[in-house]
Amino acid sequence: MAKWNAALLQPLERAGLNRDRRRILYAFLAAILLFAVGEIVHPGFASPGSIGAIVMVASFVGLVAAGQTFVVLIGGIDLSVPWVLNGASILLVTSSLGQDDRAPWALLLTLGMGAAAGLVNGVAIAFLGVPAVVMTLAMNGIMEGLTLGLSGGLTCGACASYAPPVVADAVHGSLFGIPSALVLWLVVIALVSLLLSFTTFGRRTYATGNNPHASYLAGVNVRLITILLYVLSGLFAALAGILLVGFGGQASLGMGDPYLFQSIAAVVIGGVYMLGGRGHYLGVAAGAVTLVALVSVLLAMNMPDYGRNIIYGIVILLLLLLYGREEAED
Amino acid sequence: MSEATQTAGGVVPPAVEGIRLAKAFGGVQAVDSATFSARPGEVHALVGENGAGKSTLIKLLGGRLRPDAGEVRAAGRKVELHGADDAHALGIWTVFQELTLLPWMTVAENLLIRREPRGRLGLIDRDRMVGEADRVLTWLGIDHIDPRALIEDLSLAQRQMVEIARVIIQDPSTLLLDEPTSSLGEKEVAWLFELIQGLRADGKCIIFTSHRWNEITSIADRITIFRNGAEVGTFTEIDEDRAVTLMTGRQLEAFYPQPPARAHDRAVLEVEELAGEGLRNASLTLHASEILGVGGLAGHGHRELFFSLFGAQAHSGRIVVDGRPARIRSPRDAARLGMALVPEDRKTEGLLLPLSVRANLTLAVLPAVSSLGLIGGARERGLAQGMVDALKIRTPGLGNPVRQLSGGNQQKVLLGRWLLADSRILLLYDVTRGVDVATKHEIYELMMRLAGEGRALLYYSSDAEELAHLCHRVLVMREGRIAAELSAPGITAEDIVTAAVRESRAAD
Repeated sequence: MAKWNAALLQPLERAGLNRDRRRILYAFLAAILLFAVGEIVHPGFASPGSIGAIVMVASFVGLVAAGQTFVVLIGGIDLSVPWVLNGASILLVTSSLGQDDRAPWALLLTLGMGAAAGLVNGVAIAFLGVPAVVMTLAMNGIMEGLTLGLSGGLTCGACASYAPPVVADAVHGSLFGIPSALVLWLVVIALVSLLLSFTTFGRRTYATGNNPHASYLAGVNVRLITILLYVLSGLFAALAGILLVGFGGQASLGMGDPYLFQSIAAVVIGGVYMLGGRGHYLGVAAGAVTLVALVSVLLAMNMPDYGRNIIYGIVILLLLLLYGREEAED
Repeated sequence: MSEATQTAGGVVPPAVEGIRLAKAFGGVQAVDSATFSARPGEVHALVGENGAGKSTLIKLLGGRLRPDAGEVRAAGRKVELHGADDAHALGIWTVFQELTLLPWMTVAENLLIRREPRGRLGLIDRDRMVGEADRVLTWLGIDHIDPRALIEDLSLAQRQMVEIARVIIQDPSTLLLDEPTSSLGEKEVAWLFELIQGLRADGKCIIFTSHRWNEITSIADRITIFRNGAEVGTFTEIDEDRAVTLMTGRQLEAFYPQPPARAHDRAVLEVEELAGEGLRNASLTLHASEILGVGGLAGHGHRELFFSLFGAQAHSGRIVVDGRPARIRSPRDAARLGMALVPEDRKTEGLLLPLSVRANLTLAVLPAVSSLGLIGGARERGLAQGMVDALKIRTPGLGNPVRQLSGGNQQKVLLGRWLLADSRILLLYDVTRGVDVATKHEIYELMMRLAGEGRALLYYSSDAEELAHLCHRVLVMREGRIAAELSAPGITAEDIVTAAVRESRAAD
C-alpha cells in the first residue's frame, strides 16, 4: 500500500505540492472527474451552460462553507448555519418590504443579525467554554424559534414581500459576462484566501487551530480569534441567505436546511482537517463545486433522493479515510 | 554473533537481542544496521544524542515497530513481533516516555486495564479492583498514590510512576524503559532505581535510556552508546568525557560554561508574596544579567511560579517589573512587559508542530513583520533566517514543519521566538530536559550570552547539577515557598538536594 502511494506522491512532493496543496488538487480533480462522468451518462452535462449553472449553485454552498471553514480551522463547527441563513432571508424581505429605498438598511440589519448570532456563539464558546457543537446547535434552535415566532410561521403580512429589486437584479445580473453571484464568490475566494494565508489574523487562526494552549502561551489572544471566526461564520450564513432570497425572490421556511450538511461536506472534501489547524479555502471552494456536481450527476442518473443521501455519506467517509491514511503516512 | 553468559548452570542466552536491525521513516534512516544484546540479570543503559536511534531500537525490541531488515531474538530464538502483544507474550514489556495512561480514569482502572476483577454477571467489581490496586501500590512502595484518584489529578512524576507500576505488575522478564526518569524528581528516581535493583536480583533484564549521566553510571551494569542509528560500542566502565566524545563524535571540554560576571545590580523583576494554586507566598528578586536558578523536588510549585509570573495562572501578590508595579493577567500582558516563558513541554505548550519553522519563530512578533495586518513575506523570512543563523538552528529550510527538527533544535526555535520579541526577562522552565548533550551545551552557551547581553534569566531545571554550575544564585522551593537561597561561587548539586530534602524532612 505504502509503495504505490509513495511512487505516486513523490513527483507531487517534488513539484512543491505538500499535503495541504495536494488536497486542493484532489478536490479540483474530483470535480473534473465528475463532469467527465456526467458527460458520459448524460451528454451535454459538461456543456458551458450546464457547468455555469452548477458553479452558480455551488457559489451559495461555497459562501456558507467559507464561514464553516473559519470555525473548522480552530477545530470548531457551526451548526447554527441553517436558521441563521433562513432567518436572514426572512429578515431581509420583512425589513425591506421589497422596497429599494429600504434595501441598504435592511441589508445592514440582516448582516448585523448574522454577525450577532455568531458573536453570541463565539462568546459562549470562548468565555464560557461551551462546546461548539452544543452552543451552535442551541443557537440554531433559538434562531428557528425566533424566526418562526416573530414571523408567525411565515404568515405575517410582510413575510410575503419580495426581495428588493436592487438585490434581486444584482444577484441575477452579470459582470463582464460572468453571473454576479459568481463574481461575488470569486471575490470572496480571493479575500478569504488572502485573509487566511497572508495576514496576522490568518496566521493566528492556524496557530490557534493547531494548539490553542501553546498559542495562548505565545501571546495570541485565542478568545478574540475564536469570537471573530464565529462572527465571520454568522456573517457568511447571513450573506448566503440574502443571495438566496435575491435569487429566488421570496423567502421560505427550511431554505437553510441543506446548507448545514453541504457546507460541512465541502469543507471535508476541500481537505480541511476537522480537528483544526490545516486546510485552505481554495480547496473548500473546489469541494463545493465537486459536491454540487455530484448531486447533479446523480440527478442526471435519475437517482432518487434517498440514494443521493446515501452516496453523499459514502463519499465523505471515503475522503476522510483517504485523508486519514495520508495523515498516517507522514 | 549472539553472545551468551556463562553461569554455573550452563550457558544462558541473552534475554533480548537485535541483529543488524534497520528501520527508516520516510527518508530518515533512524536505525541503521544496529546490533544490541542484553542479558538476564543486568541493567543495560542505552545512551546517545537525540535522534541517535535509541527510542526506535526500544520500539523494535518491544514489538511496536517492525524492522525493515535484521532480526530480533528473545532468549536466543529468532522472533517475529507483529505488535506489542507478541512481545508481551514473550515477557518483553515497555514503559514509554510519552505517557499512555487514560487521564479521565482512575489509577486503579489504569493499573488493571484489560484484567479488571469481575463480579457476578461479568461486571467489574469496583471494590475488589481498588483493593487490588492498593495492594499493588503498597507492594511497590508508592502507597501515597490513591488508587481512586484520577490520572489527570496526579503530577507528571506520579503518572510516570503509575505507568511504571502498570508494567511491573505484568511480571516482565525483559523491561524496556524509554527515558523513565525525565519527568521524575530525585526522590522518585531513587524509588525507581530500588525497583530496578530488585528486578535485577530476580534475574530480569532491564534496558533503559537516559540523558543523565550520573543516573546511568549509578545503576547500569553495561552501557551501549548509540550514534547515527547504530551502536558505537558497549562498555562496562566508561567515563563521561569519553562517552560524550563517542556520542557526539567530538570532544567537549569544560562541559558547563562559566556564568558571566554580573555587570548590573539593577532589579528587573521583583516578586513579593506570590500566592495561588500550589504557590504560597513566594518572593524573589531577579537582576539584569543574572541567571537565577530555581530548584527543588518535583511538584513543589516551580511550574506554578513560572506560569503565574507569565500570567497563565491566577495569582495574588505584588509583581514589579523595571521598578513599576505590573498587572500580569495573561501571557500577552507578560510579553508586553518584555517577559518570555519557555515551557517544559515544548511539544504541547510551546511549538505548533505542523507549522513551519518560520511561523513558529515569528508568532510573537507578527505585528513587527506586518503592516495593516498583512504579513510582509520578505521581512518575515529575513527575521526568521536571522534567528536560524544566530542560534545555529539545524533545519532543512524555513518552510519545513518544526516537527521535523530534533528536540534540541525545536527548543532553540522556541527560544528564538522570544529573542525575536526582544524579551529581557526569560523564564526558562526545564529547557534542557530530554535534550541531547551537544545541544545542551549550545543552550548553556546561549544562556551565558543572553545574560551577558543584560537579560535576566529565571531558570528552573530538574537537574541539580546544571543549576549548581550555571547560576549566580539558586532558590530552592518547597511546598510553594522559597525555602533556601544559595549563592555562587561554591554551590554544589548536593547543596541543592540537601536543602530541598532537609526542609522536606523538617516538615514531615
